[in-house]
Amino acid sequence: MTEVSLRLSDMERFFEGVVPSIIATCSADGIPNVSYLSHVVLVDEQHVGLSNQFFATTAANLAENRHAAILLVDGTNGNQCRLRAVFVRTIFEGPLFSRMSSQLDASSSQVGMTGIMRLRGVDIFRVESVTLTPAPSPAPVTPPQREPLLTATAEMTRKLIEPGGSLDRAIDELLAWMRTVLGCDRAVVFMADNQARSLTTAASLGYERSGVGSEIAFSSGIFGGAAATGEIVKISDLSRTRRYSEAVRASTRDENLTRTIAVPMDPDSLSQIAVPMIVHGELQGVLGAESRQRLAFTNIHESALIIAAQHLAVLVALSEAQAEAPKADRQFERPAAEPTLPVIEVRHFRFDDSIFIAGEYIIKGIAGRLLNHILRVHLETRRLGFTNRELRLEASLRLPEFKDNLETRLLLLRRRLADKASPIQLVPVGRGEFLLQLKGRPVVVSVEDPRS
Amino acid sequence: MTILVSPTGAGRRVHLVSEITDFIQGEVMIILGTCSRGKLPDIGRGVGCRVLAAGDTVEVLVSAWQWPGTVANLRDTGEVAVTFVRAADYRAYQIKGRATLVDCTPEHHGLCDRYIAAATAALADQGVPTAMTEMWLMPRDLVVAHIGIRSLSIKTPGADAGTLVGERR
Repeated sequence: MTEVSLRLSDMERFFEGVVPSIIATCSADGIPNVSYLSHVVLVDEQHVGLSNQFFATTAANLAENRHAAILLVDGTNGNQCRLRAVFVRTIFEGPLFSRMSSQLDASSSQVGMTGIMRLRGVDIFRVESVTLTPAPSPAPVTPPQREPLLTATAEMTRKLIEPGGSLDRAIDELLAWMRTVLGCDRAVVFMADNQARSLTTAASLGYERSGVGSEIAFSSGIFGGAAATGEIVKISDLSRTRRYSEAVRASTRDENLTRTIAVPMDPDSLSQIAVPMIVHGELQGVLGAESRQRLAFTNIHESALIIAAQHLAVLVALSEAQAEAPKADRQFERPAAEPTLPVIEVRHFRFDDSIFIAGEYIIKGIAGRLLNHILRVHLETRRLGFTNRELRLEASLRLPEFKDNLETRLLLLRRRLADKASPIQLVPVGRGEFLLQLKGRPVVVSVEDPRS
Repeated sequence: MTILVSPTGAGRRVHLVSEITDFIQGEVMIILGTCSRGKLPDIGRGVGCRVLAAGDTVEVLVSAWQWPGTVANLRDTGEVAVTFVRAADYRAYQIKGRATLVDCTPEHHGLCDRYIAAATAALADQGVPTAMTEMWLMPRDLVVAHIGIRSLSIKTPGADAGTLVGERR
């Protein structure tokens, strides 16, 4: 073997874990042992962390003889390298442990081993040498290029906070950046409801159906997993299982019958990444991406997505905090009734507050109550302009008293109406106020029962 | 638990039953752990395996060109752990024993070629490109590790991982 001078930080692709890593140890009396590893992570330039799950012999050997050999494989080209390493300690808590534990839970569930591959600890090793294994056509180990992506990411964050910007525009900017700069063919932004412990799709790109307004529970799949744990979850190769795709296919039923919008997920994805959006410890949402390429999301993508997710999280929190500031002089009223306009049939089902417009399911729950209320106020007063403040004070809406997330709920409702190309739209016209835009005369019928 | 080794009589030898013999001679990935005289472990891949007629000895083929450290350890100390893993379902077993190196015959070369073809096809079924498999499975400068089986253990992930199912005393 050729000893070459390699920096661990130049070898990120060896740590993606698509091809399982392996550790060899030996006892004090020279009896070797081999174990497969779920995850090996780069800790710093001298250290790696190994998932410690179920190998008692390895632990016993390391207690007697701290030397180990670790075989890593670059999942993009098959390059192999051997680390000679010395066991330092096992950690059972902290950020590295949490990150690896979430990652392990996600990848275990993808291969039908939920609960079996539980992380016991993270074994930290000091790396003493890195040796590339001879191969018929060895590919050079090249460090990933960071600078162009860093520049493009900085430009994207500048756009997010431009004067006159809005959360809607920020979400669209971010998705466009994911497509053009990161090369994500499918991306999604979820907003979090921490009381209901669910994520709602605010926007997506690249999917057959946008899924705007669809919900998934915290801990469901990798997007819900990132929400539940607050940790990044990444799967680099889903090719070994198709259970996931069955679940996705089963969920794409007729939303008009089920009153359930299908979550945007691609059954043929090979790579997935979910990055939580967190401000001051509070989850605001999750940024997700999928690809039909193996190993689509490198550590550099991960870093860029963290920057994007954190910026969007701050903007979501800011939009809730700055919601109240309507201008007094704005004229929203329609001068007179226009009976010649076509009728827009709106049905409101009281049992779940679901709303159907022209026979199409739109939304249910609190968002359904909001839309029903807005339309009824319009029918009674002819008013088209509304403020978030008046909605917040409206007792019949039964908004949560603490952290009502009204801005986010309105954003989701707005985007769902736009996604359905509904004849009823909500258009933001300033901070904390919006306009009801109608392509006809709404007629709202409230019914008790879905069979009505 | 399934009986994975045959009754051992006086309890002195591990004989693999046909189920295990078939498994480790199949299209499984073969990983060797070895140890130097200075107690430094090393890792290498095998490129073929056969269980000899008595069922208590296996021969594992290794490329000395690709895994010189492993071959040096086999020559110097002979202590070896060999793990056999099926990529399709992670089922895995490990044998341990002491190896001696024997001459590589044309028969071994034929075994190596058949193994590489079968393992490459099995990995392709799991989505691993052939170009990648070629980086791992080298038929160059073959040596044969002749290993007397001292123990057999389950290495499949789960509650039974590490369970010793046969040991020579």
